[in-house]
Amino acid sequence: MNENLFASFAAPSMMGLPIVVLIVMFPSILFPTPSRLINNRLISIQQWLIQLTSKQMLAIHNQKGRTWALMLMSLILFIGSTNLLGLLPHSFTPTTQLSMNLGMAIPLWAGTVVTGFRYKTKASLAHFLPQGTPLPLIPILVVIETISLFIQPMALAVRLTANITAGHLLIHLIGGATLALINISATTAFITFIILILLTILEFAVALIQAYVFTLLVSLYLHDNT
Amino acid sequence: SDGAPGPGHWDADAAAGGLVDLAVPGGAFSGRRAPCLKNPVLGPGVLQAIRIFHTRQPSLAPIPCVPEYGGKVCLGLIPKEFFQFLYPKTGVRGPYVLGTGLILYSLSKEIYVITAETFSAISTIGLLIYVVKKYGASIGEFADKLSEQKIAQLEEVKQASIQQIQDAIDTEKSQQALVQKRHYLFDVQRNNIAMALELTYRERLHRVYREVKNRLDYHISVQNMMRRKEQEHMINWVEKHVVQSISAQQEKETIAKCIAGLKLLAKKAPSQPVL
Repeated sequence: MNENLFASFAAPSMMGLPIVVLIVMFPSILFPTPSRLINNRLISIQQWLIQLTSKQMLAIHNQKGRTWALMLMSLILFIGSTNLLGLLPHSFTPTTQLSMNLGMAIPLWAGTVVTGFRYKTKASLAHFLPQGTPLPLIPILVVIETISLFIQPMALAVRLTANITAGHLLIHLIGGATLALINISATTAFITFIILILLTILEFAVALIQAYVFTLLVSLYLHDNT
Repeated sequence: SDGAPGPGHWDADAAAGGLVDLAVPGGAFSGRRAPCLKNPVLGPGVLQAIRIFHTRQPSLAPIPCVPEYGGKVCLGLIPKEFFQFLYPKTGVRGPYVLGTGLILYSLSKEIYVITAETFSAISTIGLLIYVVKKYGASIGEFADKLSEQKIAQLEEVKQASIQQIQDAIDTEKSQQALVQKRHYLFDVQRNNIAMALELTYRERLHRVYREVKNRLDYHISVQNMMRRKEQEHMINWVEKHVVQSISAQQEKETIAKCIAGLKLLAKKAPSQPVL
């Protein structure tokens, strides 16, 4: 049972070949390229959603920050679609792997920090010391701010991994509970099944929210540094 | 013959010439024109890289139409063609029996094991089906509305442009109609000018008349004056001489006569009433 619980998070391989690359590339098929002026319903809705999200997300940025528009939009689309696809039964979610999330978070965060240090060195260094700190606290505070800066990518990656993994685990466990309770008492199993349905609704929301949060935080780090 | 072709014209001669150059191995491409090709390792790669692609005009129209409705499906997954395919051999209920049989077979032989995942699958798929059934049509309508808005916007632009051109045509037509009626304006102007000329002519005529009359009046008045002067002078002369000719005695006689006459009159006067 223990092995079965974590089996869904193992990197999938078919006959010894790692197909995780194919699984990571799969969501891109679901976003067709608009080739005409008036497209089918799927593309129209996706276009509208992307317009809505990008307008809202890039409103706070200046000209320099808006060069990141493609990056941020691809990020939110990828994380959102991967999370949502992971809710289907017997599917593998790449974002449950810490390796992949670190691979997304560290380069993006490092990009924002390096951009800040290159173009606005003084302002970026000034972030290490909040305004209005009393004089004796300054050395400690600089250390604390440095630690908090370096924790940002870790937090981004671990937040996403933990949320999605925890959700999947919960669904698995409660499903298992329902399965075990069916032979014991059908009513309890039914209640547990209701809980499972509510949890699924939550997981759908969490999938989208986590994508949003990830991208929003990257955008905030960008805003600080441009 | 023009040396370089105009913009947008594909120069067939240059392309053919270029291809011919490429065909000769290192022939025309000596070190002077393409030193990169002399490298024996990378030369062929560069040769392929500079090969001219897309030598024909791209055909962009007419593009095939997007079908208005998707293919018909049963249970949201299986296309109706499958049912048609099985119909001759198994009738209407064939595919359903096949499906049920496959599911029961996989369950009983534990090809599909009921695990915790089964329940999560039931809940997820159930939720999805519920959402699609309830909100599917409205989301479809929303997508159609988005497309309609886009088309309406462009249609508006087109209509505005057509309206503009129509207004221009109408304005032009009215201008042309006005041109037809321009002769009234010209007639009026011509009449005005004629009247003004007439007026000026009459005025000048009148002025001439007045000037001439002035001069003639002058001459007349000069004449009159002369005559009067002469008359006065004559009268004065005559008077003077008459007065001179009257001797003192004649004067006394005359005065006595006058007095006698007056006395006579004075005697007659009181008999007449005073008026």
